[in-house]
Amino acid sequence: MLKPVASNNPFADPLRFDRRVPECAIVIFGANGDLTKRKLLPALYRLAYERRLPDSFAIVGNSRTAMTDDAFREKMHESVKQFLEDSPFDEDLWSSFARNIYYVAGDLNDAKLYADLKKKLDELNRPNVLYYLSTQPSYYGPVVESIGAAGLGRSTEKGWHRVVIEKPFGHDLDSARALNARVHSVFPEDAVFRIDHYLGKETVQNIIAFRFGNGIFEPLWNRRYVNHVQITAAESIGVEGRGAYYQEAGALRDMIQNHLLQVMATVAMEPPAAFEPDAMRDERAKLLRSVKIMNPDEVSFHSVAGQYRGFREEPGVDPNSQTNTFAAATFFVDNWRWAGVPFYIRSGKKLAKRTTDIAIQFNSAPLSLFSSDDGRPPRPNLLILRIQPEEGISLRFLSKYPGAGMRLRPVSMDFNYGSSFGERSPSAYETLLMDVMTGDATLYTRQDMVEASWKAVTPILDSWAGRVFDFPNYEPGTWGPAESDAMLARNGHKWRNG
Amino acid sequence: MPATLVDPEKILKDLRNLWSDLARDTEVAGGVLRACGMTLVVATDNGADMEELRHLLGVLMHNHPARAIVLKLDGKSDLSATVFSQCWMPFGKHQQICAEGVEISAGFSELNHVAQLLLPLIVSDLPAVLWCRGPRVFSGHDFDPLLPLVQKIIVDGTTVSDPYAAVVAVRELRKQGRLVADLSWTKLTGLRELIASVFDEGTASNIRSVRIFYGGDAPTVSALYFQTWIERALPEAHVTLEQRGEGTRSIRSIVLQGDCEVTLTRPDKATIEVRCRDRVRRSSLVPISEETLMSEELSILGPDPVFDKVLM
Repeated sequence: MLKPVASNNPFADPLRFDRRVPECAIVIFGANGDLTKRKLLPALYRLAYERRLPDSFAIVGNSRTAMTDDAFREKMHESVKQFLEDSPFDEDLWSSFARNIYYVAGDLNDAKLYADLKKKLDELNRPNVLYYLSTQPSYYGPVVESIGAAGLGRSTEKGWHRVVIEKPFGHDLDSARALNARVHSVFPEDAVFRIDHYLGKETVQNIIAFRFGNGIFEPLWNRRYVNHVQITAAESIGVEGRGAYYQEAGALRDMIQNHLLQVMATVAMEPPAAFEPDAMRDERAKLLRSVKIMNPDEVSFHSVAGQYRGFREEPGVDPNSQTNTFAAATFFVDNWRWAGVPFYIRSGKKLAKRTTDIAIQFNSAPLSLFSSDDGRPPRPNLLILRIQPEEGISLRFLSKYPGAGMRLRPVSMDFNYGSSFGERSPSAYETLLMDVMTGDATLYTRQDMVEASWKAVTPILDSWAGRVFDFPNYEPGTWGPAESDAMLARNGHKWRNG
Repeated sequence: MPATLVDPEKILKDLRNLWSDLARDTEVAGGVLRACGMTLVVATDNGADMEELRHLLGVLMHNHPARAIVLKLDGKSDLSATVFSQCWMPFGKHQQICAEGVEISAGFSELNHVAQLLLPLIVSDLPAVLWCRGPRVFSGHDFDPLLPLVQKIIVDGTTVSDPYAAVVAVRELRKQGRLVADLSWTKLTGLRELIASVFDEGTASNIRSVRIFYGGDAPTVSALYFQTWIERALPEAHVTLEQRGEGTRSIRSIVLQGDCEVTLTRPDKATIEVRCRDRVRRSSLVPISEETLMSEELSILGPDPVFDKVLM
């Protein structure tokens, strides 16, 4: 069995040796759910395809439904075939991969389940165990405590025991703190991996490379040159059968509190002292702690809630639902680098198109010598970090239109991942699963980061909870409610709806 | 593509026309994405199977899109050039990706002229790599005019009958300050990784001696590198390279003598068996091909400190 090669190994060759997962078992709670089928199993299969997993790597699925190992394998076989991204499916590989897939049925509230799991893990005898909580969030606390009560939680001399917790980590600041206390009663912080799959995306990681690997951008990356930043995560689809879950969460909790604030922290954080897990997470946490907390009377000025027409007719949704399917907010960062620069963040469902990007708009040239082609004042430079669907980076600048006279027109300089790197990018879950199994927490969120991001959105949540909105307030296929445009217009800005 | 007069301006114009044609002709809905991350100059003997090489380049391009410049070298003085493209549709995507290439036929005696021709053809500001496929690079100075044009040179020591001479030649290139890779070294990655993991597990602690056994009448270039690698990693250990058995030249087994005697043997080409007292475990090795070796080397465009230590 290959283990990751330690740096004090005289035979180490980090340029050439792959990180490899040590001998371990992963226990997935909620293995009958969508996340397991669509993301986790395809990612694990792909890691096996790339020979990153040891032959003895074991998966133990759990859900309430009674099922044999073989029935579970067959179910996962169909899921992996269906949801494997950018990668062919190999039946032979599946056969050997599936030999180490097991299933233990049981109710998460029943102590017998954990006794059965213990028996199965003893039987498998893998030194390291990873617990993956892919259940409804309300089960996170009870499951962790039951793992502890069954004696399954503590790392031993033989190996580590870690837990991965999916978002949302709490539904507000208090519940996040309470959940954390329950988790820490069983697992120490260095064994807790709070997953935010946005941080595992190759293009989000590239923000770090772009900012700190190049010398030309960082000097401009501050309030002197940056006018404002827009972060958009738009989906063209609706809740797609997740109405009941979504109704409890909404866009602000589902996207902005976790994913988009983490992206904002990555865009705006200070350079870390080293590319090491704690150094990186310290800087992200510092940035999140610097986000200015809105006063209650600022909330209506700096945030907008929306709901698309038709949401209330979705299955499982309350016909009078006050859930936000669109949320936008203006955040400010109280530090020397960013004071006064607005960070506009928006996310919504049933918008004009599916796109996730970060647009950094620079200040205009101090003196405008030229007018643009259409007679309007020249448009300022814009740097766009595209996260999906076309991963890449674009820089907009002005260029002379060919011909007589000095007419300027904005042009775009594009970097597309595919044109420079033919290699397939690993999915976010491949990256993050590999990281947790090799003990790298760089892309996982720490408790202080979770708390800081809850603090940033708490005034909005509190204010919205006490209001009755005149929903629906936007049509499907548009860019959200008009108030969202008005929020930017008040600062003389405009959403770029590219 | 028709052969063109060997004028770099003409070749560049042909490349531009190639892209215009691709954009016009494509029936792919998502269009064509022009991909280029480096220039890869491939010097190959005239006897090489060009079809096989084109196929190999096509596969390599998927992970390392490049402007490929293939130099077909023979004894004759007859310069000619053609341009070509390599296109593929990445799995699950709707946009075709294409990389461009130039094939140049030339005599070895014309490499000075070829170097002048290459200068404008190498893509500016991106890495350039020279891959010498045949043994000629190990004897004489034919390729000297091309070396200043590239950042990295890839050779293959297995193409030379005298392994000691191959190592000397590679060391000489490194001494001149060139970044050099030898596919005979690249071949060892799987085995080296296994040795590293054995050490990591604590199975091979306090190693005092290492015996490397090879088959055939002489050690391979890989075996020589392997011995030096062990010596550099364990300066206190006594390392020997010993002949054992007839047949094809290859590393047959390795014995690490420490707190426990660890023996690594290869029951077959794809498997390695690691034995320590009564514990036995088997690991499979990733199949090696020219494509996988080249792909590994093209991923490393900067210094390679471990190989450098071996060449010291």
